[in-house]
Amino acid sequence: MLTIENLAVDHGKLRAIWDLSLNVDTGARVGLLGANGAGKSTTLGAILGIYPPSEGDIRYDGHSIVGNSPPLNVESGIALVPEGRRLFGEMTVRENLEMGAYTKSARAGVADNIDHAFALFPILKQKHNDMAGTLSGGQQQMLAICRALMSSPDLLLLDEPFLGVAPILVDEVMEALRRISDEGVTMLLVEQNIHRALDFVEHAYVIENGRSVLDGAKDTLLNDPGFSNKFLGLE
Amino acid sequence: MDASIIIQIALGGILLGGLYAMVAFGLSLIYGVARILNFAHGTLLAVGGVAASAIFTATAWNPLLIMALLVPVLGLFGYVFYDKLLQPLTKRSHFEYTVGSVLVTVGALLILSDVAAWIAGPAPRNIPLRFEAMEFGDVIVSTTQAWILGGIIVFTIVLHFYIKKSWFGRAMRAVTQDHTGATICGVQADRVHALTFAFGSGIVAIAAVLYTMLFPVDPYMGFSLTVKAFTIIILGGIGNLVGALIAGIFLGLAEGFTSFFWATQWAPAISIVLLLVILVIFPQGFGWRKSK
Amino acid sequence: MSNYRYWLGGAFVLAALALIPTSGSAYTTTLLFTMLISYTLAQSWDWVGGEAGYINLAHFAFYGIGAYAFCLSLLNGIPIALCFVIAVVVTSIVALVVSFPLFRLRGDYFAFATLAILPLTELLAFNFDFTGGADGVVLPPKYVLFEAYYLAIGLVGLTAIATVWLIRTRFGYALKAIRNDEEAAEICGIRIFPAKSRVLIMSAGFASLAGALQGWQLSYIDPTTVFGLDVALIPIAMALLGGSGLLWGAVVGVIILSLFNQLLIVSLPILQTAIFGLLLLLIGRYMPGGLLRSGIIRNNRWIGFLGREHDRFVKATAGVTMTDGLPLPKQSDMKGQPVLECRNLTMAFGGNVAVDNISLTINAGEIVGLVGTNGSGKTTLFNCISKVFEQKSGDIIFLGQNLAGARRDDASKLGIGRTFQIPQPFSDLTVAENIAMPLMYRGAVSASLPDALGLATQFAEYVGLTDHLSARADSLNLQQKKALELARALACRPRLLLVDEVASGLTPMEVRNFVNHIRELRDNYGITIIWVEHIFSALAQVVDRVIVMEQGSIIADGPLDDVVRDERVLRTYLGSAAPEAV
Repeated sequence: MLTIENLAVDHGKLRAIWDLSLNVDTGARVGLLGANGAGKSTTLGAILGIYPPSEGDIRYDGHSIVGNSPPLNVESGIALVPEGRRLFGEMTVRENLEMGAYTKSARAGVADNIDHAFALFPILKQKHNDMAGTLSGGQQQMLAICRALMSSPDLLLLDEPFLGVAPILVDEVMEALRRISDEGVTMLLVEQNIHRALDFVEHAYVIENGRSVLDGAKDTLLNDPGFSNKFLGLE
Repeated sequence: MDASIIIQIALGGILLGGLYAMVAFGLSLIYGVARILNFAHGTLLAVGGVAASAIFTATAWNPLLIMALLVPVLGLFGYVFYDKLLQPLTKRSHFEYTVGSVLVTVGALLILSDVAAWIAGPAPRNIPLRFEAMEFGDVIVSTTQAWILGGIIVFTIVLHFYIKKSWFGRAMRAVTQDHTGATICGVQADRVHALTFAFGSGIVAIAAVLYTMLFPVDPYMGFSLTVKAFTIIILGGIGNLVGALIAGIFLGLAEGFTSFFWATQWAPAISIVLLLVILVIFPQGFGWRKSK
Repeated sequence: MSNYRYWLGGAFVLAALALIPTSGSAYTTTLLFTMLISYTLAQSWDWVGGEAGYINLAHFAFYGIGAYAFCLSLLNGIPIALCFVIAVVVTSIVALVVSFPLFRLRGDYFAFATLAILPLTELLAFNFDFTGGADGVVLPPKYVLFEAYYLAIGLVGLTAIATVWLIRTRFGYALKAIRNDEEAAEICGIRIFPAKSRVLIMSAGFASLAGALQGWQLSYIDPTTVFGLDVALIPIAMALLGGSGLLWGAVVGVIILSLFNQLLIVSLPILQTAIFGLLLLLIGRYMPGGLLRSGIIRNNRWIGFLGREHDRFVKATAGVTMTDGLPLPKQSDMKGQPVLECRNLTMAFGGNVAVDNISLTINAGEIVGLVGTNGSGKTTLFNCISKVFEQKSGDIIFLGQNLAGARRDDASKLGIGRTFQIPQPFSDLTVAENIAMPLMYRGAVSASLPDALGLATQFAEYVGLTDHLSARADSLNLQQKKALELARALACRPRLLLVDEVASGLTPMEVRNFVNHIRELRDNYGITIIWVEHIFSALAQVVDRVIVMEQGSIIADGPLDDVVRDERVLRTYLGSAAPEAV
């Protein structure tokens, strides 16, 4: 569904991504791992169209989407749950969800998608008239995920969805992500906690300094001693 | 002290304040969305008012008709102004963006007021539409005042609901609260900026006609009006309509009573002193959103 | 171009100017007089606007207050020299008083407030009796054009000297730091409010002299002439047109706009203000950085030097003794005693508790790793210790001193140094200047600018940035910025160093290098270190113990080996699987 080839992205004069290639099959769950500053968020931003690539290609459903604006990509079926959530603090939960369906094609399905969101996370239904800024970290994350789902995306990009989520809620969020995946949504997940990521995805890419340095199916990675040493612990 | 006089002054103050608030609405939306200090905003009212007065003198049209003409004109102007002159600056560094927007809006201010003075003359003017007065006891209220007060109230309510319920209104609020968040929801931020400029300018057009029916306008009053609008925004909170209305009325009343009890020439100073005092006590204003 | 050539050139220009009146043309003299006044105004504005980064729209108010003070004094029979002094003193006092509330504001709100002051002064001038109201102040008519002109030349000379002084001294650099990042400036030991206040007073003083001279020459002032908006913005436009923050910016802007203005007056009977406004608009739209920063000028061989940024004007003093390693005091006293103690520390933002009742002790000479997921409160803890935030409750004791109520520059002076997770360098200053900043303000012996730049090279070498000494900080990549953060933090001569994720993204070799540096900093210079890091393998090489945070609390605190086997740590941080290796 999504193929990235030799991607390079600059932030002003700084090159954040040098030469990245990855592939996400339809319906798959793929992880993007690596330390802070390695380029994971930039990659997601480039896919959605927030950061225009300087080199390389991004192909979605067979077409190149390089240079497309974010609204265009959202219309095409890509959605992002960004790092830091980026919710609208002084709008209600319901209004935040409605904003997720801003694009023309999504507006028709607003009511249905809201019901779906409430089914995924009942607490959101309970708090549907509360200001988003008053929710806890975990609840905000749930809201951010649902807001992204409001455009009925085929590809969901998640940037550290467990950040600032209390451990008790992590399982609930993970469960919901599984359900979303089961419904056929393809997912690309950026995550810092290696084990948690590998718990969920089937395939993972490891990024370092803007380049992909390692990739493989989950079991392959877990059994690779180099991978363990570097990311799981100690010498 | 005669109660009727107090009420009269209060009424005048509320009307004036309500109009100030309308000007502030536009500026508040513009600043909240685009984070630009538009120094020319008040001048739009000055120039719009002069134009409305000139049209009325020439054609004696119903002010509502003049409004219907002025709103799209100023709205279009606002859109093009932002799109061609200000939007390109967003690509530059923050300092250049700030400096550039100051120069552009101040330049526009000078051009607009000078050209308007050249075309229509610098003398104050208004729309001299007279209706019979109504009497409530000792209080004399002109029908004009009553209509305009009603108009302001209705307008504020309509605006409030529009911003709350419409897709565009929600887009404006979303962009104000979180730019990136709005983008990932599929909002085209640049277009929203330009449309908000247009929208804010359109609001000023309405305020301009109403203002000119009650008070005189001249091409050079714009700047002090802009200062008052800024004061109101800071008092009421950026993007907060109800707050702006209250702050505006408060300002209008303060000016009215200062004029009467103290001296007319001190009235304009009130708004400035108020602004400075508020900023000293609350460096971030009353609003929740911080400035850049 | 060496320095003496500048002085020679300047003297030549001033001499040429001095000859003008001998031509006998009052018109030319008046024109040049106006330009001299404009230059003083534009340049003095730029000290606050271009150097410190605060756009003061009320600058002209100082001009007006100076003019009124001067004229009123003269009218009351005070000897003329004293009148000038009074003008400066009165305006400076106003600037001082006004700086207290004004500088609490940042960015746009500062501009709003200064925007409002101008019409306020106009109104005050209109309405007070002693200022003569709308009629203004009329001096007994005396033809003083030539005297005023020569005084103006003197004023311009002083302004130019003051500008050069600002560019080359510590004080000027403090302003540049403030312009870029006030928080980082404080951490380098700069007290920001006094610095801002001082430059505002300086700027006001010069503006008031300009106003006094103008009032004297015209023999007449009234509120509109002096406080009118369109007039008030002209000096600012001049500074911006040439290029704010550049040595030649105001000069170029003044010359061009004055001549343009003359042209307008002479050739257009109407719409002069509109055309002037059009010029401002075009400058703002196409060249907000100023003419001198545009490619056309900068790339030109002959006049390109006019657009040079400041850093070329100061050279590091050569021949600074190169000691081994860093010019830091070697200290190994206090071994084993607590350097930092946190007792029941809590920090919350609104309802969000980021640090929840934490207690910990760090002893001298320890290297402590601090780990936890993003959002666990590590950075907030650092922010509390370095006084970026004031904690809601609990105590922080550093070297026996309670830090309650301390400012950021206090913490820095006491010996707490830190790097930021997202580097905060002074973007438009070079690497050398960035490192030199704390050396000028934090050193045990505060160095002068050239000395500081020399010492900076040693720190730069230590972190591997020798090749980038003259590069602007905002042109560095993330790794280099982190290295710069570290160098600058070390230049603050810390006793306790808080390192926030410096190693991520490095190759194993680079990590090993970095770890060696950390060890050296402790062994040779006695610096205690708390290091936030995600990569355990890096920490494992050097830390004495590890503290693990989660959701604002400490869930483990002990030797690394114990911590990685701790149940809670495994569950929340490393994930549910036990580590593979070991």
